[in-house]
Amino acid sequence: MMITDLVAPEAIIPALKVTSKKQALQEIAARASELTGQNDRAIFEVLLQREKLGTTAVGYGVAIPHGKLPKLDKLFGLFSRLERPIDFEALDAQPVDLMFLLLAPEGAGADHLKALARIARLLRDQDVAKKLRASRDAQAIYSVLALPPASAA
Amino acid sequence: MGSLDSVSIAILLGAVLVMAGIMSSLIALRFGAPLLLVFLGVGVLAGESGPGGLHFNDVQTTYLVGSVALALILFDGGLRTRFSSIRAVLAPSMALATVGVLLTALLTAPVAHYFLNISWTESLLVGAVVASTDAAAVFLLIHAQGLRLRPRVGATLEVESGTNDPFAVFLTLMLVELLSLGQSTVWQVLGQFAREALLGTIFGVAGGRLVVLGLNRIALPQGLHAPFVATAALVIFGTAQISHASGFLAVYLAGMVIGNRPTRAHNSVVAFLDAATWLAQIVMFVLLGLLVWPGRLLDTLVPAILVALTLTLVARPVAVFVCLLPFRFQWREKIFISWVGLRGAVAIFLASIPLLVGLPKAYIYFDVAFVVVAISLLFQGWTIGLAARQLHVALPRAEGSPRRIELDLPGQLEQQLVGYPVRSKSLFFRRGLFPSWSKPTLVIRDEKILSPAEAEPIAPGDYIYLLAPPERAQALDRFFVDMPPTSAPDPHLLGEFAVSGETVLQDLAAIYGIAVDPNEAARTVADYFDLHLDRTPVAGATLPLDSIVLVVRAVSGSRAHVVGLRLPEDEDDAKPPTRGDIVRQRLRKAWKELSGA
Repeated sequence: MMITDLVAPEAIIPALKVTSKKQALQEIAARASELTGQNDRAIFEVLLQREKLGTTAVGYGVAIPHGKLPKLDKLFGLFSRLERPIDFEALDAQPVDLMFLLLAPEGAGADHLKALARIARLLRDQDVAKKLRASRDAQAIYSVLALPPASAA
Repeated sequence: MGSLDSVSIAILLGAVLVMAGIMSSLIALRFGAPLLLVFLGVGVLAGESGPGGLHFNDVQTTYLVGSVALALILFDGGLRTRFSSIRAVLAPSMALATVGVLLTALLTAPVAHYFLNISWTESLLVGAVVASTDAAAVFLLIHAQGLRLRPRVGATLEVESGTNDPFAVFLTLMLVELLSLGQSTVWQVLGQFAREALLGTIFGVAGGRLVVLGLNRIALPQGLHAPFVATAALVIFGTAQISHASGFLAVYLAGMVIGNRPTRAHNSVVAFLDAATWLAQIVMFVLLGLLVWPGRLLDTLVPAILVALTLTLVARPVAVFVCLLPFRFQWREKIFISWVGLRGAVAIFLASIPLLVGLPKAYIYFDVAFVVVAISLLFQGWTIGLAARQLHVALPRAEGSPRRIELDLPGQLEQQLVGYPVRSKSLFFRRGLFPSWSKPTLVIRDEKILSPAEAEPIAPGDYIYLLAPPERAQALDRFFVDMPPTSAPDPHLLGEFAVSGETVLQDLAAIYGIAVDPNEAARTVADYFDLHLDRTPVAGATLPLDSIVLVVRAVSGSRAHVVGLRLPEDEDDAKPPTRGDIVRQRLRKAWKELSGA
């Protein structure tokens, strides 16, 4: 599975200006709503539900908010780079500045889990994270995400 | 004047004996001897054949004191039982409390029949007298030893011991009646049992509700709440007994109802009953020690020991394994539950009923019960900690829990004041964190009371008081305990999603599309670890849940507190795909697009 199978070039926010976790989730929900045609409120609620169980920040300044949206037709990914890091209640207490949103349709099952694992694995890579942080525009970010797994490692 | 003197002497002797019991607890704690055995010993020493030489054979008084003591002990047990913690163990405990008691009595009876030369009905009575585990002994030994059992095992034992006494009392009374009056049919017996249990439940629940109502509505002078509740317990007990309902079941249930509703002065009630229960234990065991006559014990010593051995090594384990068959317990948990079938005051109390009624050979029951209890307290009581550790059902002690101060706020029940000493290594001090449902209200520093704003910055050594709902007070603890030394997070553990240990499995199943056993869907992740991991969870412990793996990241109070989700790795990431894989993948993709369109 390629990351670019999940994220379209327009589903990248290169410099998101937010000050809190809640606002960040609202912003990416709004953007996801524009791109998928789903209700932004519903998306926000789904993400919030998941955060209530425990943070989706995975450490090293990365968060992967995710959830299930029944009416979606396929996996949907959205990447955003934050202009200023925010607190995401991460276990390592590091503020988050890279966020990857993943929404899955109802029956996605194993694909959903694999996609999440794939994203987590990519963003855990310090070289990739460094390149993403250094990229200023959507085009540059997309080309980093498009690197095949082998050369990203 | 002579009779007045004898009363004074009785008071003096009684008080001295109880005092001796209290003081002896120091010795017991130092040597780890089971406390109850020590109290019993004090009674025996003071009695006829001991150095004390006191003559005491008043069965009536023993029965009276025993009833009151047992009622208070059961009430206290109910008061401490949280509905939420017993819901999961209700069925197994009930099976143990009813079928288990009957099985134990039936399996013990043959030994009594052959070795004591008594009739079958009489030997069944012997079995019934020693069949129930003792709530007081179980509660006390588990708590006094600071033993923390795996939640399900501990709750099962406690609920069993609380609910099997009424059944054993009933069985005993039934058999005594049969022996003294003659025949009755099985249906009569069953009907009577059903009526006693049903009425006992009604009296208990209704009585408990009334007490809650009274406690919250009537403005009692400060300090009278606790005695009000304690006497109300005895009123419920008495009313039920007079109406031929099970008073023991009624007080236990009443305690549970009261303990699980918000009431005024909850803390002082619990503290008062704690003291009352201690006193009841001491008085009861000292009295029982007085009542026994070691000279006579020798006649029945060997058969009594045989009864005790059969009970402990055969009857109880068989009953436990049979009753727990339909429930998923691990074998080591079942062995532990078998071993902790502690007998205590209930057995001796029940054995005093034949004496009171004047059955022939009534002393046999008493002597056998005494030996059984002494052996049980001596061997099982002494080894309970060891058994728990050997069988891995004990949890290590909680990390230095802070001294929490709870204060009721008259006028409302939703909030109370919870106080903690501020420690330099606490989450509160280090990070300034406290939960949103609590509100810092005052700070005490150098004997001066300050508002949180005045006290800024709060320093270690201050005392801070927060407003919080009573039922969540315990959840505040973790903000005030010493944090474990911070180490850099293990890089292997990062890169996974985390969820709280309190997450319900079905929520996880819904989000990740994984299959969860419907019986377990309502359990939390922490419960899941308690149930399926046969040791105490530590960071790094793993358990599979369908296709994902749960990894304990942080432990709090020996339970999984934060749990990481290890997702199935994408195979085609791990090894380069073969040509066949690629073809198959393309085909699958094509098929999806076709079927999607």
